[in-house]
Amino acid sequence: MDVNFLQIALVFLVTFVAAIDQFDFTESLYQPIVTGPVIGAILGDVQTGLVVGGTYQLMTIGNMPIGGAQPPNAVIGGIMAAVFACTLDMDPNVAVATAIPFALLGQYGVTLFFTLRAPMMESFRAAAVKADTKAITKLTVVSEIILGLIFAAIVTLFFVGGLTAGQAVVSAIPKWLNAGLSAAGGMMKFVGFAILLKIMMSRDMWAFFLLGFGLTTIVHGIPALAKPELLIMAIIGFGIAFWDFQQQTELKGASFDGGDMSDGI
Amino acid sequence: MASNEFVVPAQYEDLTPAPNVDKKTLNRMVWRSYWLQSSFNYETMQSGGWLFSMVPGLEKVHTNKNDLAASMYHNLDFINTHPFLVTFVMGIVLSLEQNKVDTQTIRSVRISAASPLGGIGDALFWLTLVPITAGITSNMAIEGNIIAPLIFLVVFHAALFACRFGLMNWAYKMGTSAIDSLTSNMQAFTRAAAIMGCFVVGALTVNMGGTQINLNIPNGTTRGLAAHTVVVSNEEAENFDLAIDTETAEPGALGMTAEDGSALMAADADGNAVETGIVDLGNGMSSVTYAEVTETPVSFSVADTLDTVMPKLVPLALVMLLYFLFAKKNFTPIKGIVLMLIIGILGALPLNEWLGLTWWTGLW
Repeated sequence: MDVNFLQIALVFLVTFVAAIDQFDFTESLYQPIVTGPVIGAILGDVQTGLVVGGTYQLMTIGNMPIGGAQPPNAVIGGIMAAVFACTLDMDPNVAVATAIPFALLGQYGVTLFFTLRAPMMESFRAAAVKADTKAITKLTVVSEIILGLIFAAIVTLFFVGGLTAGQAVVSAIPKWLNAGLSAAGGMMKFVGFAILLKIMMSRDMWAFFLLGFGLTTIVHGIPALAKPELLIMAIIGFGIAFWDFQQQTELKGASFDGGDMSDGI
Repeated sequence: MASNEFVVPAQYEDLTPAPNVDKKTLNRMVWRSYWLQSSFNYETMQSGGWLFSMVPGLEKVHTNKNDLAASMYHNLDFINTHPFLVTFVMGIVLSLEQNKVDTQTIRSVRISAASPLGGIGDALFWLTLVPITAGITSNMAIEGNIIAPLIFLVVFHAALFACRFGLMNWAYKMGTSAIDSLTSNMQAFTRAAAIMGCFVVGALTVNMGGTQINLNIPNGTTRGLAAHTVVVSNEEAENFDLAIDTETAEPGALGMTAEDGSALMAADADGNAVETGIVDLGNGMSSVTYAEVTETPVSFSVADTLDTVMPKLVPLALVMLLYFLFAKKNFTPIKGIVLMLIIGILGALPLNEWLGLTWWTGLW
């Protein structure tokens, strides 16, 4: 099937919007059930797009971005599946399966992008120091546009270049580099944790950090508690903090009057 | 990057509580909260989008420019919460900012309130709302019903919209009314907030720390004897009566006795020890149990060893290392990130291919 310039431009635009929407704004327009029929309409076959979108959506239901984990990317996967089905006359199920390598590529791309975007926070900090609220808005917009453009460029490339181009890109990245980058991406959060600790830490506080760590390793070992793990820990943490608060305020009250005016003392 | 080193003061310069933020500003913050993950990255996760969402409120409550800068700077701390429930945290933090609470308290409250929401939100939205609505509407779509995507979008957004606006207003009201009783015990409250904050960071280290050293070092081989039993004629049984040196024989060598003529102990298929020898069955046949020398490769798993010492030891060690570098060596966040990138890539280098290191299987 021949595609014209208008169709390429529209696919670019839809991907641009979906790429941004997958993490922000509505967080639903990017879902394959929506992008499928839209891409179908652009390529002149709404019905096929709709069926492919529904098929892909069912596959992703168990594959949501839970707990910050990146699932195979549904934006690239969903759009590519619809493209395959509409342009190559593929069966919807085959189209969905064919799109999976692209979704995996998208997953790696997102991990890499989130890792490389970390230095951008320096620009945010520089703007904050100057209390420059307009710069924060500007950085936010720029950040989103970059994300959208990267996704749109990749999908358009695949759309125009077809199946072979995509496979060439996937196989060009050495496996070890991929493994190293995703390991590094997994470790980035420790930087954030360590900074928080630096802010809150004093000699008294080590006990509570270790308590949180130790107790969570216990809960972590119980599969049934995996999902509510953080909530359980927050409740325990709150209990300890509340108890400490009461201890501190009662001690304070015993030595001098720190109570409310309404106490009438 | 050193130019961005900024020390957040313990207290704001202007300590007069600001008047309540009007409804319009709160609504602007809700709309901006739709962009919470706009600058998502693996260092501070949602911090850029969080600050973007907080800006309208912060501008209203901090008329002093230095205070606004300090507030904006510490609002860029690591934060990872559920995008659909974030307005709850925003409401509470705004009420604290408005009352000019110590900056450290605001930081502690923010991370403590934000972190547990992730699990609740995932359970509520990704594991309940989306599977149900998308499950039903996908089936409609596969049957060719064009209304299906619209139903999905309408249901999903009605739920989101209610959540975002409701939580913002409720949390802000709760924060401002509870604040009076809290300010009288500020020091204890700060301490309690830090306790919970440190506790939650400890929990996050386990909950989100997936880093593990998956190195499997080949650790030579172990030799053993495998027992085989066959029934053969008495004449043939004689052929099996071979002596071997179990220490030096090649793997696969067969034998019946040790060099001094004594019987061998070997392990049968079930792992039980059996003695080799010939048993005459009395009908011209013999049951022969002989031994085969075996050699199995053994590898030493670093992960298994570390887990027996303490699960999540690697995440703990990395957090401690980074804490040490930040607190004692004045490391900037960017240096920490580069360090993690270097460790990640170094650990994945294919040294076994490049340098012929047979023991190297990659760290990750």
